[in-house]
Amino acid sequence: MSERPKLTRRGLLRGFGTATVIAGCAKPTAEGAAGETAQPEDLPADVVAIGPGAAPLSLEINGSVRSLEVAASVTLLAALRDHLDLTGSKEVCDRGACGACMVLVDGVPMNSCMMLAHDLEGRSITTVEGLAIGDTLAPLQSAFIAHDAAQCGFCTSGMLISATALLRTGDSKDRSSIAEGMAGNLCRCGSYHHILAAIEDVAGVQGGA
Amino acid sequence: MAGETTIYTLRLGFDDKLKAVKVEVPKGEPRPWDADSELAVIGRDTPRIDSVPKVTGAAQYTHDVRLPGMLHAAVLRSPHPAAEIEHLDVSPALKQPGVRAAIDLVKVGDKVRFAGADVAAVAAKTRDEARAALASIVVRYRPLPFVVDLDEAIQPGSPKVHEKAVKDRRTEGDEPSEGGKARVEGNVRRNPSLSKGSSNKGLRQAKVRHEATYTTQVHTHSALETHSIVVRWDSPKAMTAWCSTQGIFSVRDELAGVFELKPADVKVFTEYMGGGFGAKFGASAPGSRLGWIAGELARKSKAPVSLLLDRHEEHVCTGNRPGSTQRVTLGATTSGELTAIHVVGHGSAGIGTGAGIGNNAFGIYTRCPNILVESRDVFCNTGPGTAFRAPGHPQGAFAIELAIDELALKLGKDPLELRIGHVEHPVRRAQLELGRERFRWAERRREADAKRSRGARYLTGVGVACSIWGDYGRKNAARVTVSVDRDGVVEVRNGVQDIGGGITTVLAMVAAEVFARPVPSIRVQVGNSELGPSVGSGGSQTTSSVAPAARNAAEAVKAELTELAAKLLGRGSTEGLVWGSDGVSEVGGRKRTIAFAELCKKIEGEAVVATASRPQTYNAGPMRHPSAPVYQIAGAHFIEAEVDTWTGVVRVPEVLAIHDVGRVHNPLTTRSQVNGGIALGISYALMEQRIVDRGSGRMLNPNLESYKIIGAAELPKLDIVFTELHTGANSTGAVGIGEPSTIPTAAAIACAVHHAIGRPVRSLPMTPDRVLAAIQGA
Repeated sequence: MSERPKLTRRGLLRGFGTATVIAGCAKPTAEGAAGETAQPEDLPADVVAIGPGAAPLSLEINGSVRSLEVAASVTLLAALRDHLDLTGSKEVCDRGACGACMVLVDGVPMNSCMMLAHDLEGRSITTVEGLAIGDTLAPLQSAFIAHDAAQCGFCTSGMLISATALLRTGDSKDRSSIAEGMAGNLCRCGSYHHILAAIEDVAGVQGGA
Repeated sequence: MAGETTIYTLRLGFDDKLKAVKVEVPKGEPRPWDADSELAVIGRDTPRIDSVPKVTGAAQYTHDVRLPGMLHAAVLRSPHPAAEIEHLDVSPALKQPGVRAAIDLVKVGDKVRFAGADVAAVAAKTRDEARAALASIVVRYRPLPFVVDLDEAIQPGSPKVHEKAVKDRRTEGDEPSEGGKARVEGNVRRNPSLSKGSSNKGLRQAKVRHEATYTTQVHTHSALETHSIVVRWDSPKAMTAWCSTQGIFSVRDELAGVFELKPADVKVFTEYMGGGFGAKFGASAPGSRLGWIAGELARKSKAPVSLLLDRHEEHVCTGNRPGSTQRVTLGATTSGELTAIHVVGHGSAGIGTGAGIGNNAFGIYTRCPNILVESRDVFCNTGPGTAFRAPGHPQGAFAIELAIDELALKLGKDPLELRIGHVEHPVRRAQLELGRERFRWAERRREADAKRSRGARYLTGVGVACSIWGDYGRKNAARVTVSVDRDGVVEVRNGVQDIGGGITTVLAMVAAEVFARPVPSIRVQVGNSELGPSVGSGGSQTTSSVAPAARNAAEAVKAELTELAAKLLGRGSTEGLVWGSDGVSEVGGRKRTIAFAELCKKIEGEAVVATASRPQTYNAGPMRHPSAPVYQIAGAHFIEAEVDTWTGVVRVPEVLAIHDVGRVHNPLTTRSQVNGGIALGISYALMEQRIVDRGSGRMLNPNLESYKIIGAAELPKLDIVFTELHTGANSTGAVGIGEPSTIPTAAAIACAVHHAIGRPVRSLPMTPDRVLAAIQGA
């Protein structure tokens, strides 16, 4: 899997999300009409049939491998929150419009409500719980506190994930490029000014280093 | 009345207008902090002490509560805006996978009055199972005629939303005011009017008149954490609830009421909560009996039940800012003196009440001698409105402020000068004068005028609008406990919820100030009904109700510790002892010091503990509120808007917000609240609107991609100025800011757009189609 193409959110869904959705939605032979049943042997070689029902899965999350059993229809967000007790990623819109559920998948920020858990096997996932090293906060987390970037805090996990990725790509040269980069994350308390200031602060520190 | 009082001479006021004022306070109150108080902690930017869990994902919100054996609930909602229930059978749901309980929420013969109303509910092992099981519930509806549009609902003969009189549903989020005996005609219900002088006479005297109709949209709260509650029965007569709420004690009381329990047997926790904005008081939502549903399902299934609404439900049944149609008539002399303001506001809070238009038209330009503001609720078959960050005010401000700008244009007067000439509040006047200089009002207006006369594609405009709110800090409502133990641990405890305003940190700051200890050393426990009574976070009253109570408790503990220090130092009295960062010291003389830790070790028993509240506001502040027995909070926004005349898109490049907040306790978090008020205001002005289909009566954009809220890319450059005001209202001088900060934003943008294009856009939101129509004179 080393020559995997660079992921985009759309590309991810197009590339392999759909294949598992189809397989996952296929009805079991017993209750489905014969014509609707997807036979594993009919499937292309790179598509795996999962389910019906819960199926085992290993996910690499925050540097460790976690095993769980979830149905093919379970989103990554639901797997994190309901099966792995990682509730830092939030469910807000449940359709990829707000960014509160963002996680890093191989370093790329993704809305975890828009991905199926089984599609993430073999990928490296980072959630907000994985940003600090032990008790040592990442510079961005400290900057969020110093600039008061979190009022109610419900958007904060997604903001931090988005901003972490933004700082890595280097598209954080000035306030307006940071604002563009963060445009997919909504904050209802309206903390945007402080969020942008926190990111700018860290970007400046990195730039100077 | 305790009767005994103490009189302090305090230096009160603002800017260079400070003066000595005698203030009478109940005996036992500490000397209130005033302009002469030298404070080391209060007034300095202080990062929140409860932020680490927010940035690591460890913070527990109600959405995150996971209890052993916990079930998940889902609610079946009416697809019809008006229907009679002809048949309802929830029993098939009990046979669905994972389902442990199912209840009906209406009976055969009942009417549902909006699309989204409660019909039935189930609890199952997973949320997916609960939602899937709803499909098996059998309901037969008899659809009835309905009306979802305000203008249509006013018409005689339109379908009647309610057959019977409707009681006001008031929450702690509503601005305190006198209720009224409401008369109902058709779907129209009269609210009490605000009146002075004779508006008719004033209009007859007027040489110049302006009359126009202004409309505002329905605006949903859209808190990121949807309404949610987890209920666990601890015994047949006791329960514990975790709730995403702005009012822990209103949740407790509602649950106690509906399940016939003693309030003391209901525990409520709100450790962290993801936004409320006025819609989260009580265990239920304004349009859905969430507390009953979760509690009853938990009782039936003998398991804890979690009920989290989804985004669609959050939009349709948890409240909204009512829409409005306001007819504004202004009269003036040719020299620009207002002779009359008359506003007739019709608002729709759907099936609910409370669609008033606030105090803006009545309480700000008070040099006008004749003012009449009439307000009517119009019932529609849509989800109920409820308090939303300064209920009534943003819509009221939009109409009156834009009307004043239109009148100024007719008079050939500068709209800012017209305003300054009609405000009486000294702080508001000073704020308008400050903004005139700081925002380069005249210069920017000239630049904008030049662009317009050149016919540039991008036009700019400058507008201003005012805020009005009251100091609603409550007496005896919050009982705060402060303790210092033998180990030197200072702890502040109160049941209050921190909804993101930062009260947790302010409590630590108050204790740090009193004991001269570092803020991070102070422990604060909040968010738990067992930690002592407190206020709901509505009416911008949290800090002003809770912080002074904390100071009073801390001062009582400090007094006891000072006595202990005097004893240890072998002094007859506490005279001549001062507290500093190293402990308690003698002034002059031998200058001995007892370190704080050493002093605490000598505490008899476990700890010194005191619980205190705060009394009624002890001063009238700079000016009384026109319709409540409190003093007024002012504020003004100066805004530049840019209009693309080809596309109709409006941008807001720059905002200057000037607010008085009493003594600013934590400027860092206070600025956060103002940031939020402005972001919400811009979003309200330009983007957000609930769209209800007239054919089906359903909301068409119940999500966050077509219900558009402001993001990071649409932000203005922001300049926030606090007019530090020493009110002598309570022992810390705290005053609220959450609501005043959002009141003038949309109005000022509307005035700026009017200035930019020379024509008014009289409907919110100012979407490109409306702006283009205005430019083309349609």
